[in-house]
Amino acid sequence: MKLLLLLPIALYLCGGTSRSLFLAGTLAELAYLASRGLELGRLPLIGPHDTLAFFSTSCAVMALPFLYAPSLRDVGFFRWGTALLAALTTLMALPFPAFNMPMPPILNTLWFELHVALAFFAYALFGIGALLGLLYLRRPERPFLDLQYRAALVGFSFFSASMTSGGVWGYYAWGTYWLWTPKEFWTSILWLYYSFYLHVRLKGPAWERTVAWGGIIGFGVTMFTYLGVSLLMRSSHSF
Amino acid sequence: MRYLFRAIYTRLASLTLGLWLLGGVMLFLAIGSFLQGEGSSINEVPLFLWLREVPLRESWWLRGALLLLALLALNTVLCSIDSLSAKWQRGSFLVRIAPQAMHLGFLFIMVAHLQSASGSFKQAEQVGEGAAITFPEGSQVVFTDFNATYSKMGMPTSLSATLAYPAAGGTAMATISPNHPFFYQGHGIYLKDVAPPPTKAALVEVHKEPGAGMALAGGVLFTVANVILLARRRGRV
Repeated sequence: MKLLLLLPIALYLCGGTSRSLFLAGTLAELAYLASRGLELGRLPLIGPHDTLAFFSTSCAVMALPFLYAPSLRDVGFFRWGTALLAALTTLMALPFPAFNMPMPPILNTLWFELHVALAFFAYALFGIGALLGLLYLRRPERPFLDLQYRAALVGFSFFSASMTSGGVWGYYAWGTYWLWTPKEFWTSILWLYYSFYLHVRLKGPAWERTVAWGGIIGFGVTMFTYLGVSLLMRSSHSF
Repeated sequence: MRYLFRAIYTRLASLTLGLWLLGGVMLFLAIGSFLQGEGSSINEVPLFLWLREVPLRESWWLRGALLLLALLALNTVLCSIDSLSAKWQRGSFLVRIAPQAMHLGFLFIMVAHLQSASGSFKQAEQVGEGAAITFPEGSQVVFTDFNATYSKMGMPTSLSATLAYPAAGGTAMATISPNHPFFYQGHGIYLKDVAPPPTKAALVEVHKEPGAGMALAGGVLFTVANVILLARRRGRV
């Protein structure tokens, strides 16, 4: 069944030339996620296959309002960038097995689903922010940087809500809202990093290139927090 | 002298200092994430006790992070005071107050961590049917039953334990399961695992987390203020 993901990958890649095809790819991947959800009887948020599919869908969904923004409507670089981001993250989900195991009791709570879903929405927006940073470095036009700021600020809001719901889940699941594990370290680093990014912007116009770079580096920190820590370091959040 | 104090205040309240401190905290935490070994007891005891017990070579990164966080808290307070006094008469009230409410939420979270670092408690116990946990003032919570169901693959799909506790006019019963602890005398009783039948035993943990309420207040305040800021800045960046 996971081979059905080849359809959104193809549509995303064609989406570099047409926003309608990108939209079709998004709908196809949403349909795949919905079918996984129906099969499992819950949100598909456990294991690398499901989380990567959820992440790539989040990237595509969050990219849509930007693709239709007046200042980005005719920018091929951004269209191709979002197409590649969504296609690549969907492609990464393919090699991993799609687990059909029942939800472990500790994860069987709305707080967990809220925590993970909000984090992926944030990661997706940080990815879009990185693309906008690259775009600004190629074409230093102020609207691109403003849109990067908007993506980062919305992503930061999602991420703050994710951390809060994660704290509530941790308190009910483990008896504490905070554990000193690599994932929590890097989650805090990511949160502090985007606080840093949002404050650097206050330094003024002379710092615009730094801000653009900040959005790009931020996505690197995001990917390490999501994939690097989960795959390389032992943590309560390991796959 | 007044000039000197003014210069120190300006430096402590500066955005540049705040950025350096954020960078420093991130660096220490990143180092800590790699140095933290699997066998570390950092999650088993209150943080301040852990800092007293472990050698400096294991905890220097955390001491560094705490020092910078203390300075960051001061920088946040002074920066908020400066910002409010400079912009008090200008613009929308919500736009003025939202960033400062976010700062306050951040400070709440730091206070929560301080409360937990000094007053938290954690104890794991294996309990059988009829076993009791005794609380500091002498009352007891007694475990009366345990249940576990498993999937075809052998994975637990639901776990629960029933316990009896003193209540007004006698004894009351409660059921605990993962994500549904029972709170009694300021402590939470958490079910971690239940032995497969026919054994009637379970692994439970008793926790006390004095900073939890403050952390929740800080997280909610920060997030709500963030959303307000976002809503007020819609259409302009």
